[in-house]
Amino acid sequence: MYKKNSWFTIFGVLVLIGLLSSGCSTGTATPTTEQPGTAPTEAAPTEVTAPTTVPEKSQITVVIAEDPPTFNGAINQSGFDTLVMELAMLGLADLDEEGNAYPELAAELPTVENGGVVIDEENGTMDVTWKMRQDIKWEDGTPVTANDLVFTYEAVVDEETGYWIPGIDYVDGVEKIDDYTAVVHYNVIYPGYLTQFGGYLMVIWPAHYCDAEQGFSSWDCGLQPLSNGPYVLKEWVQNDHLTFERNPNYHEAGKPTIDEIVVKIIPDGAVRKQMLINGDADLDMWTSENIVAELKDVPNVEVSLSPVDRWVMRIFFNLAAKGTTDPVATPHPINSDLRVRQAIQMAIDTKTIAETFWFGYAKQVWTEFFRPPYNLCDVPQPIYDPEAAKALLEEAGWIDQDGDGVRECHGCTTGAEDGYKMEMEFITYSEYGETLDLTQEYIAEKLGEIGIKLTISRVEGTVLWESSENGGIEQSGNFDFDIWDDGYSGSDPTDFLWGYYASAAAEPDYGINYGRYLNPEIDDLIDQAYTLDEDLRKDLFCQMATILNRDLPELLLFTTVDANAHSSRLQGVQSNANEIVTWNVSDWTLK
Amino acid sequence: MGHYVVRRLLQAIPLMFIISIFLYGLVNLAPGGPLAGRGSSKRLNPEQIAILKRQFGLDKPVCVRYVYWLIGNDWTKPVEEIPKPSVGVFAPIIQCLDPRSYLLSESPGVGKGVLRGDFGNSYRTRKPVLDIIKTSFKNSAYLMSITLVVVAIIAIPVGVISAVKQYSIFDIIVTTLSFIGQAIPEFWLGLILILIFYVWLKNPLTGDSLLPPGGMYTQGMAFSLIDWTKHLILPVTMGVVGWVTWYSRFLRSSMLDVIHQDYVRTARAKGLTLNKVYFKHALRNALLPLVTIFALDLPYIFAGSLYVEILFSWPGMGRLYYQAAVDRDYPMLMAILTLITLIVILSNLLADIVYARLDPRIHYD
Repeated sequence: MYKKNSWFTIFGVLVLIGLLSSGCSTGTATPTTEQPGTAPTEAAPTEVTAPTTVPEKSQITVVIAEDPPTFNGAINQSGFDTLVMELAMLGLADLDEEGNAYPELAAELPTVENGGVVIDEENGTMDVTWKMRQDIKWEDGTPVTANDLVFTYEAVVDEETGYWIPGIDYVDGVEKIDDYTAVVHYNVIYPGYLTQFGGYLMVIWPAHYCDAEQGFSSWDCGLQPLSNGPYVLKEWVQNDHLTFERNPNYHEAGKPTIDEIVVKIIPDGAVRKQMLINGDADLDMWTSENIVAELKDVPNVEVSLSPVDRWVMRIFFNLAAKGTTDPVATPHPINSDLRVRQAIQMAIDTKTIAETFWFGYAKQVWTEFFRPPYNLCDVPQPIYDPEAAKALLEEAGWIDQDGDGVRECHGCTTGAEDGYKMEMEFITYSEYGETLDLTQEYIAEKLGEIGIKLTISRVEGTVLWESSENGGIEQSGNFDFDIWDDGYSGSDPTDFLWGYYASAAAEPDYGINYGRYLNPEIDDLIDQAYTLDEDLRKDLFCQMATILNRDLPELLLFTTVDANAHSSRLQGVQSNANEIVTWNVSDWTLK
Repeated sequence: MGHYVVRRLLQAIPLMFIISIFLYGLVNLAPGGPLAGRGSSKRLNPEQIAILKRQFGLDKPVCVRYVYWLIGNDWTKPVEEIPKPSVGVFAPIIQCLDPRSYLLSESPGVGKGVLRGDFGNSYRTRKPVLDIIKTSFKNSAYLMSITLVVVAIIAIPVGVISAVKQYSIFDIIVTTLSFIGQAIPEFWLGLILILIFYVWLKNPLTGDSLLPPGGMYTQGMAFSLIDWTKHLILPVTMGVVGWVTWYSRFLRSSMLDVIHQDYVRTARAKGLTLNKVYFKHALRNALLPLVTIFALDLPYIFAGSLYVEILFSWPGMGRLYYQAAVDRDYPMLMAILTLITLIVILSNLLADIVYARLDPRIHYD
């Protein structure tokens, strides 16, 4: 009898052990009420809340793939952090869908004309005076002042707890003039100054609320922000959802019009799409081309496309031999010949790729200067011509003498040994998905047709872009030929151009000139482009466009779409390649 | 038995230690790193990378980092600069052997170490990893324990009936379904369930989808057993299919072994009813190996299921681990792996104890 009872007891204990240990989890899944100043993950107070779906309260649901790491978009740069940051926080200025800056906390945009920017031509420096609005308050009623701007700057540049943000190296200091005025002292003339403390990544943080000792990258106010934006964080249930309420004290009268925004974490893209179709979601962030194509005929769903594209799918040629970083001492046995790069360009049918694998949403691009206001350069569009590509390879000394379909070096000028096979590894990152995978395979097939054999590899982004010291593939130069996408935010490409094309950026870990393209002409033009003279900049950029088109250090193929799908009832959503979709959330309405 | 349990627990300490070294090395030496892509594409130069490394505690060799992870670094002596050996392939080894690498620090250490209950801060959120794990741990335990209960409720009768009705229509159908269940990819099954119960089937009264596509409960709604149950049906079904087929087949096999044994024949000869013979005498012994396997499966309760959690937006351990792996969030990865290791060790011990408790022939002392 004892044995029988004990058997059932033990079995019962086994099957119930998980239940008991989880405590049925009611405490974790029931909405938790967060208190300001406490991290959401620590917010234990749990109570069964009364239904909040009051009929007259307008509410929308935004579905995203990952829990935002924090509200500080500058740290992880996952995009999900920026999405929620834009709901609750403001910067000095931001960028609209055309790339034009507009003031947020600033009373006006500082310019040379209005005296906000003073340039010291002799020393090559400038001072930018920011006048801030006096009618904006944090959610606790404290005014947003120049103290907050100075506090944010000091937190960013703190060596122990700060974090690098674009352009911060050019700033020597931020000086408070009065409660609503501060001057940013630059040690160069920096064209991107308007989004230094705003734009895609940065906002101003409250000096009286954030703990300076915890530091910019770790402070609790990054998890429980004090809002000065259109919405206030009401609750955050880790990995499940965040709820935002309309900020009643938002400075724009009558805005925002939607009372509540629920941001739900739905990792699977197919489920997010279906929730949108079923009417259970109002916005699916970052809609890919295939989903855009699927949704175009769904009656209750609309897709907002950015009028300006940002992300360019591009091929990176390693000009140095694989595993090395000096293109002069150790040139790449294949890519270092310009004729080979030109042949590759001629052999890739970008039009077919854009129409087939990217559902017609990709646009062909062949120069960095395709976006306004710098889309003025006369760079001829490349022509798909595989026969001409073959002839060029023959001319370059790459001939298939053994008839195996792969060319060999027979008189090539790259320093490769006679008979060296035209075989390379073709890498991309694995996270992007099927569209890029198919593109990669198609390009490999097309280049195979002209006698270049590519072996396809896919690696994690973290392996591809890790530092040289830690063996990152790109920084170490451990590749032949890669494809992935990049583009700059905003309207100032200068830093971006420096990163990809300046000789100094070819030094491992100093930039992203992964192909090790060295050209003093380009270096000089980039240096000159650090000016506020727009006419001069346009001229310099067109000179660069001509040189880059001549040298082909990278092969720009097409832009990828910047789209966000939303329910038809949600109006005012405008995709913005310079910003995250919530950039204009205060303008959204429900019909 | 008491001595045995104590001995096993003591043996678990060096085992945990050895496994932790292995795991720490594996996690930290895997290609890629937490700093990849940080700072975007611009001018994040080596000096700035060095600052980030110091913030993340990555400025030390792996051996030093492991020691700090284990016992903390709040006892280290802050100095201006630690003398570093000349750069070379042996530099990390020299640093590992140099006591100054452990004792001196360029910035004040704050970590208490795992042995004092501090698993460090997540690189992703910069908050204590245990605080983050706590919630996901409970959520996974909740989902997986219910899944296992349902598995037991279905698998045991199905396995028994299949065995006692060997080669019957029921047995053939169950066998066929078992093979299908084992063969179906879990992720595909989940998508099909969503297609059927979220997309196609509607509640005739409200017009809403019959079942929600994911989440633990309807956000904004007061606690409702019906709502929670509705959210459980699809993820539990997805999890149950594979396990039921495996458990029922195992039990069928075990039961077949038992019912052909002499003591069962004796019981029948004594005139006991078939139900009594099968369910009172045979099943008890047939379940012995199953209970052991069940105990060994206990870690799954806490580790969660990645596919189920991704597809049904369940905020559990599987997703947390996946995110940490993608981000190379070493403290988070180590905390999860260490906890799961501990649970595996304890589950093994539990399996042995349970087996001994159920089978009087087994003695450990």
